[in-house]
Amino acid sequence: MPSFDPITRELMIDSLRDYARKKLNYDFIREKDRLNECPYEILREMYDPKILGIHLIAIPKEYGGLGGGTFDLYRICEELARIDLGIATSVFATYLGMDPINVGGTPEQKKYYLSRIAKEGLMVAYCATEPDAGSDLVNLKTKAEHVTQNGKVVGYRITGLKQWISNGGIADLYTVLALAPGGPSWFVVERNTEGFTPAHHEDKHGIRLSNTAGLSFDNVYVPFENLIGGVEGQGLIQAQAVFGYTRLMVAAFGLGCGWSALETAIRYSQQRIQAGGPLSEKQGYMFKLIVPNAINLEAARSYIEYIARRIDNGEHQLQTEGAIAKYFATESGNKSAEDSIQALGGYGYTRDFPVEKIKRDVKITCIYEGTNEIMEMTIYRGRWQEHLKTRGEYYMSMARELEEISKENNESGAYEASLALKALANILEECRINKLTRHQYVTFVLGRLISMAEHAYVFAKTAFNDTLSGTVKFDSATYKAMSRVFAKNTALKIAIEGGWIVLGLNDKSSSVFEKINMAEIEKRQYGILSDMELISKSLVGVFKSK
Amino acid sequence: MRNIFVCIKQVPDTTEVKINPKTGTLIRQGVPSILNPYDHFALVCALKLKKENPDFLINVISMGPPQAKSVIQLALALGCDNGYLLSDPSFAGSDTWATSYALSMAIKKIAKPDLIICGMQAIDGDTAQVGPGIAAQLAIPQITFCQEIELRENKLIAKKHIDDGYDIVETSLPCLVTMSMPKDFELPFPSFVDIVQSLSKEIKIYSAKDIGADENLIGLAGSPTQVLRIYPPPREVKTVYIKSSSVEAVERMIEIMRNENFIK
Repeated sequence: MPSFDPITRELMIDSLRDYARKKLNYDFIREKDRLNECPYEILREMYDPKILGIHLIAIPKEYGGLGGGTFDLYRICEELARIDLGIATSVFATYLGMDPINVGGTPEQKKYYLSRIAKEGLMVAYCATEPDAGSDLVNLKTKAEHVTQNGKVVGYRITGLKQWISNGGIADLYTVLALAPGGPSWFVVERNTEGFTPAHHEDKHGIRLSNTAGLSFDNVYVPFENLIGGVEGQGLIQAQAVFGYTRLMVAAFGLGCGWSALETAIRYSQQRIQAGGPLSEKQGYMFKLIVPNAINLEAARSYIEYIARRIDNGEHQLQTEGAIAKYFATESGNKSAEDSIQALGGYGYTRDFPVEKIKRDVKITCIYEGTNEIMEMTIYRGRWQEHLKTRGEYYMSMARELEEISKENNESGAYEASLALKALANILEECRINKLTRHQYVTFVLGRLISMAEHAYVFAKTAFNDTLSGTVKFDSATYKAMSRVFAKNTALKIAIEGGWIVLGLNDKSSSVFEKINMAEIEKRQYGILSDMELISKSLVGVFKSK
Repeated sequence: MRNIFVCIKQVPDTTEVKINPKTGTLIRQGVPSILNPYDHFALVCALKLKKENPDFLINVISMGPPQAKSVIQLALALGCDNGYLLSDPSFAGSDTWATSYALSMAIKKIAKPDLIICGMQAIDGDTAQVGPGIAAQLAIPQITFCQEIELRENKLIAKKHIDDGYDIVETSLPCLVTMSMPKDFELPFPSFVDIVQSLSKEIKIYSAKDIGADENLIGLAGSPTQVLRIYPPPREVKTVYIKSSSVEAVERMIEIMRNENFIK
């Protein structure tokens, strides 16, 4: 589905922000966090079409929704995460819970369920995880057994346990993955079905406003019509089909949390006077705790937007891209929150400032929708195939593209990003020749390096344009400086970390640094100090202390 | 149908704006644009009148760059009927008089106004001159700084804010009012549904030629005001020392605070 125009989309974001300003101030959220309480009434209000109608954006128009696209949902998820990641997770659980129906449902099922969710503002829960099956869904234990009448399957009896289910205790509808005789399949279970019992709300490290519960299914009967798609064995395919988009939303959570924490730190840095001047004027503070995080978060945004646009333009199967976005944005968000606590010193460690809570909250983004280690593996698997299929051309052609644009001008660091991509291609090739990917550790490191390199590629291309996305708060000169620093840093990291695994696992690869053109990468590092000065000043200008 | 016009403006969120002390210009980098809060309140008043008088059509009009469409769409999402944006490079540099002229020309072109509602001032320039300027251009009565308005038959009754209270003022229609806003007034926001539905309402873009504006009366050429310098007003700190017993000192402090309007 295409997204709305930027004006319409940003009006929605403004309304969401206005709602939060009125109803969700930090004192309220802090108290709910302390009490480990889900603000159920608030969620109901947010679903009310007269107040916000937040669930409607993810429902197609023909079923009474507003038919938003991926770019719209990314912006809403980012803004929700800035407000509170627990509330964001709860809203997202409804979006996610509808996906099996949206992707795999029969036309009748879509009409029946999606229209009801739209009209009645139903909360949904997506129930895949089990005590023994997280990312490894093949271990699924929940069973759906046939109930037959005159030899015909008329329904199923579901038995098993689900764990860590967002909205588990409060949802009206549950989409449940269970092992039917024909293979893993999704079923819709209504809240009050006999034999279905949600457990207590978990006492979690963060996102404490999000209701999370285990679920018990004891011989729960559902009619055949509740089998999503009407055919058994489609469950894992249906689950896989939406990972590109769902992981992009978790990436948006990382982005929102990361910026929210960092903005607090930047504003604080202008008020805190130490050794005769504000912290915001000190390199040791800004260049360590603030600037690198701002750069990473903007690199993450450029990639999220690039993928969101591609999905809106009708591209499917962007699972590897979803993993790349999720991995990088959530790692960056987590690090930003961590450094923001440090930036606030003792204050950051108290609950009087929101960064402590954001840090506890954002950690989940590195865990749910596939842990970031699973992301490293997924990214490696997807791109390794491309590397083999194209005989190393996959990244080399991207590098050439950047080299070309750098000839026009290299303000966005396109040349340095092209060095990063070439280095990556050579590292992958070394790994192939020396059969290093038989070691799992190598594959995970490669997953990480691939994620960084593709971010450098997209960031340099995006920053090359003088017209920036309306979501970018910086001027073009600052944005280009961010991309330059990122490209240089990425090239060096790929060279060192990639070189390290190649040399560390194979004693015949001594010439690896020549192959990845380390000399040129070294030569291109100069200039980061003035760029970081520029970025630092710009950050203070954009996020002024109040 | 009777026509209400609401004149609105997109402004930088001044709570986020700082002035560059060296150049004296506004630092707009990264500053979000918002609907001027007084204009937002004017829309609320217009919508209330429409609820009580369903024969009213609310026309929203703004002058500004193309991105000012955003505040018009917000007004449409809140329930206004028609949106008009005066956008043309030849409007650039218009002062309050030239702006009043352009807005009044547009109003004349669109429909005969029964009531024009403006915010009392925009929070970026704080001049409070455009509303009265429109009334002068159209030669209709005006009541400025209104807190409340209501219609009784063909008369408008306004509660007009004055320094030490309020006046109740009555005038015939057509007229123009400018609205001040009660402190802590909660401005409404549209739901996602309202926002998407606003897309079905057209926003008409008018150039200077479309509204028949004389080129000599708009833009820099039509602006008698010349801005020499912008600077933050110097902050004055007055210190009063009270030397007396604690009870007397407290009484004196209360008196000073009352005189300075810190307390009532």
